Amino acid sequence: MTETATAARLDAAFAEAGVTGWLHAVDIDSGAQAGTGADQPVCTASVHKVCVLVTLHELAAAGTLDLTEQVECPPAGRAPGPTGLASMLDAARLSLRDAAFLMMSVSDNTAADLLLRRVGRNAVNRTTARLGLTRTRMAHGFGEMLAAMREDAGPSGARALADPHVIARLRALDPARTNRSTPRDMTRLLGALWRDEACPPEYGAAMRRIMSLQVWPHRLASGFPFDDVHVAGKTGTLPTLRNEVGVVEYPDGGRYAVAVFTRTANPAATLPAADAVIGTAARIAVDALRAP
Amino acid sequence: MDLVRHLECFVAVAEESHFGRAAARLGMAQPPLSQRIQRLEKELGVRLFERTSRQVTITEAGTLLLTEARELLARAEALRTAARRIRDGESGLLRAALSPDISGETVAALLAGFRRRHGHLELELHELSTAQQLAGFAAHELDVGLIHHPCDVTGLELGPVLRRDLGVLLPREAPQAGLDAVPLAALTGYDLVLFPRTDAPAVYDDLLTACARGGYTPAAVRHGQGASFVRGLVLSSGAVALCPRDTRLVAPGDRDLVWRPLSGAPPAWRHSVAWPKGRGDAAVGAFTDAATHALRTTADAHSEAPARPLHLRPASEYWL
Repeated sequence: MTETATAARLDAAFAEAGVTGWLHAVDIDSGAQAGTGADQPVCTASVHKVCVLVTLHELAAAGTLDLTEQVECPPAGRAPGPTGLASMLDAARLSLRDAAFLMMSVSDNTAADLLLRRVGRNAVNRTTARLGLTRTRMAHGFGEMLAAMREDAGPSGARALADPHVIARLRALDPARTNRSTPRDMTRLLGALWRDEACPPEYGAAMRRIMSLQVWPHRLASGFPFDDVHVAGKTGTLPTLRNEVGVVEYPDGGRYAVAVFTRTANPAATLPAADAVIGTAARIAVDALRAP
Repeated sequence: MDLVRHLECFVAVAEESHFGRAAARLGMAQPPLSQRIQRLEKELGVRLFERTSRQVTITEAGTLLLTEARELLARAEALRTAARRIRDGESGLLRAALSPDISGETVAALLAGFRRRHGHLELELHELSTAQQLAGFAAHELDVGLIHHPCDVTGLELGPVLRRDLGVLLPREAPQAGLDAVPLAALTGYDLVLFPRTDAPAVYDDLLTACARGGYTPAAVRHGQGASFVRGLVLSSGAVALCPRDTRLVAPGDRDLVWRPLSGAPPAWRHSVAWPKGRGDAAVGAFTDAATHALRTTADAHSEAPARPLHLRPASEYWL
């Protein structure tokens, strides 16, 4: 299939699911590409946790920190979230690498901010710059991002999201004013991670292990319902935004980095079709790359 | 210094994080762009970007000023639009649109109201679906329109959101026609007549979700919009249609069809006037006021009810 035909199929799949989507997929070994809107600036949301993960391991490889180092997580002042430490009630103590596991497997916002405090936001931006991700920028931590969204949404909280005026004014949905990247930058990052260019192999293996332990089945993984195909990824979600970036590996050795970013017109929080199209679109792109 | 032009350069570099791409977007060469940024930094006494050999990143100070810069540019654009209309005087034109479900009575009230508020300006009114209106805004072919929500509001400014509660159009002999208000679940067994999905995909999906939530999952959706076609489907093919009372698909004394309100918290068409961010001016304001007033007085439209509970599930990843 030609690149234009693949792009048209991707756009049609996104439209059918009621979303606008931007996707880039690349064969990690041959560099062959497919996609639509691959250079669109997008809000990364929790997808930016991949950048934190890589920075953490880069600093560990440089000897700046030790992944088994313990961090304290008191109950007060935690970044809010529905999973992991963010929703636990009591004081916790864990290693940096276990915090990284929580950050990636269940998108734990508190674990992410713990790590971010340890490595520093500037280090994250240095890492992405070093890997050539020129359109990627972390503007604030996860707790800060959610605090800004609470401020913009006002006192009625999540209910206010039904109001189109509220959606139109959320700073967290403007790539210029929040953590941002492009689909192409994200596949570049995943390619580096899978080819062990981001970090030495032992650290690369640690990161790939963690990224394979993500629990969510509803997005990228849903497009590959095959027991012999391995999917590793990281989702990102904000009102109207549903993202996932990850790597799909086939038993014949084919491995593909895919980055999918979507925006729905409907601000509803529960939209299964919008989640599933991330998998559908990823499969269209991977099949195009695998076509003889 | 031409502050507006310099701020355009600042915003472009901030959004592209790259002098070359920003220059291409602005249609200028890179060296004069760099000079403009330097001049702006000097004028403001603030460093806006950190430049390394490989990339350019916005400073904290730059981030703080970016919002202000965008607002100022939006106002400048609005001023230019208003000036264009004033300059054009009597020949000034407001290109506006309404979705096809708006009744003739509402259109008439809107036109009369707009003429009262802005008599010297010509209003060019089109009948366009929400999807067509959004495309029209993006192509600079449309100034303002009355759209359906939900839709993608990126880059739009909105007037007040109003809702028209939906009722059901039934054959007079249907058992449900005997009820004062019909629960959605009582429509089980009927197909549903609905506008084509491409007109407003999110509204279409949202309505089917609301029907499912109310216990009504139609076996088939039949697509139709014209009054006589919809009447025909409802009369002869075991289908019902959902529409607001003011759609007037039922004539007074109609012997074949009845319209009944839906009971409980009925689904609704949700509307607002919309226009591209920064392109609002007095004429757009007059259209917004006229449309809002016309919907309230002729279509029984009312302000949004308090939002329903919204339970975020853990996969949402955020918490409010």
